[in-house]
Amino acid sequence: MRRYIKIFSTFARACLVRDMTFRVNFLLECLTSLGWMSMNLAFYLLIFSFTPEIGRGSGWSREPFFAFVATGLIINAIVQTLFMPSASELTEMVRTGGLDSVLVRPLDAQFLLSMHRFDFSSMANGLVGLGLLIWSVLCFPAAPPLIAWLLYPLLIVCGVAILYGLIIMLAAATILMGRNQSLYDFWFYITNFSRYPAEIYAGPWGDPLRSFCTFIIPILLVVNVPAGTLARPLSGEAWGMVVLTFAAAGISVGLSRVVFQAALARYRSASS
Amino acid sequence: MYNSSETKSDRIIEVNDLAKEYRVYDKPEGLWASVRGLFRRENRIIHALRGVNLSVGRGEFLAMLGPNGAGKTTFLKLLSGIITPTRGTARVLRHLPWDRADDFRRRFALVMGQKNQLWWDLPAAESFRLHQEIYRIDPARFVKIHDELVDMLGVSHLLGQPVRELSLGERMKLELIAALLHEPEVLFLDEPTIGLDVVAQHTIHEFLRHIQKQRSVTVILTTHYMKDVAALCERVVVVTHGSILYDGSLEQIVDRFTTHKVVTLDLENAPAPGEMERFGFSCEVHGPRVSLRIDRSRIADVLPKLLSSQQVRDVSVEDVPLEEIVAGLFRGAENRQAGTDLKQEVGAV
Repeated sequence: MRRYIKIFSTFARACLVRDMTFRVNFLLECLTSLGWMSMNLAFYLLIFSFTPEIGRGSGWSREPFFAFVATGLIINAIVQTLFMPSASELTEMVRTGGLDSVLVRPLDAQFLLSMHRFDFSSMANGLVGLGLLIWSVLCFPAAPPLIAWLLYPLLIVCGVAILYGLIIMLAAATILMGRNQSLYDFWFYITNFSRYPAEIYAGPWGDPLRSFCTFIIPILLVVNVPAGTLARPLSGEAWGMVVLTFAAAGISVGLSRVVFQAALARYRSASS
Repeated sequence: MYNSSETKSDRIIEVNDLAKEYRVYDKPEGLWASVRGLFRRENRIIHALRGVNLSVGRGEFLAMLGPNGAGKTTFLKLLSGIITPTRGTARVLRHLPWDRADDFRRRFALVMGQKNQLWWDLPAAESFRLHQEIYRIDPARFVKIHDELVDMLGVSHLLGQPVRELSLGERMKLELIAALLHEPEVLFLDEPTIGLDVVAQHTIHEFLRHIQKQRSVTVILTTHYMKDVAALCERVVVVTHGSILYDGSLEQIVDRFTTHKVVTLDLENAPAPGEMERFGFSCEVHGPRVSLRIDRSRIADVLPKLLSSQQVRDVSVEDVPLEEIVAGLFRGAENRQAGTDLKQEVGAV
């Protein structure tokens, strides 16, 4: 384990060195990322100028909702910084045979492939998310209980784990298909669902969609459960969702491992 | 089998009936055919390797020769555990390569001349440090080996430069260092000198020869360059269409696949037209320089006659160039394969 942590930090350091080498690019990426986030926040502020709450009786008034948005930003920043650059590079590695040199290293291939490249400019969003979270919580009428504070970081880790499992399974599809350019598109579509409170998925179309995105592809648990734990009282149903999130995270990572290993066994390599 | 006297424990690599097939989509031309291909596809089986048997002893330097698509790289990929075979087995250092055991992967290295394994945007020194962590190389040992290899190849001034800024030859030297830092027992080299100038080729030959002797590394080298083979390898395996055509020493190739030698004469004056043909079955005349191909069994008989009938300034008797012999072997195999394919097609009809 220590070796993996050391290798992880070596990769991280090397990526930081690389990012700093192209400093203008690094700054531009930070600015683009912050610009996109600011537009989103402005959009949500606009919505709250028309309504005091998203979903009647849902509890997602302005400050709790910004805590929700902040949680999404933090989780997304972690995924975008740590895993997404490696996963999106995998498509090219499979197509060109670059994966070959990974498979001959005495190291877990999944670790090496999912954590060898980082994008530190994405951390800018995470830092803003953290600031937004602190501001939102300070504006709450009552401070969240201690148990909520203890659960929150663990549920953030679970949210990241669910998304990581999804990324790895999409990456495995790349290995099997030889080319999967829709990886990013699919990722965007599916994570779009996690950007809004689960309560908005209601009615004859919304309920099945909510069930699908909670129990089949548990994308709705990623942000909703940690944000809900902090922003709303912990009811019996909320505890059920917490347990479900822990289970979903475990299953997601475990399943991704099985799928990834199966895909590697079928790797064809590319012509030299 | 080449070198059959070696004991079983000396055999580092054992390959039995190893075969690899690929199913590929046979894409017809045209838009309509592409649309049809969305619903129904006709696949073709490519036999990259057809039941290869091979045994390699510790410390051997073996060259694999073959035309493009012969199956050389597929063979190395199977032995490195990158891909799994369709049939057959292979043991490298007593491991099944495609199990990808860490203990196995720590003991070999693969260098691919056409693929970059170093970090493109970073200096090689950073990649070497990463290797140290991945292969768990003791820090003191790492420094010793690193300095030794860097000195040998004279690349200390390149270590701080991003890899993308290096020339092909410089990059290949650093790739070799990266591959040897963990002191592998087996080294797979896939066309390591491809695209390099003669100076870089020579440096790499010298380096590989030294390393292989010093450390008794078992090396399998695939190449298209006969210079690589002549400079480095005692044993040659010729592969065509996924099968081994020849497995033996370099000298034996010449003995086995040619019946003649090349006699080159520098004459005082250019010979009269048709004058030299009676001495050999193939004759090339360029002014006073004449090149004849003479049957080996007749050399002792023909040479004195040649020397006595002509005013000769210089003479040389040489084997047919290796490139030519191997090209002939490839062509022969190509024709036989075409014949087999035709027979199969006729049989199918």
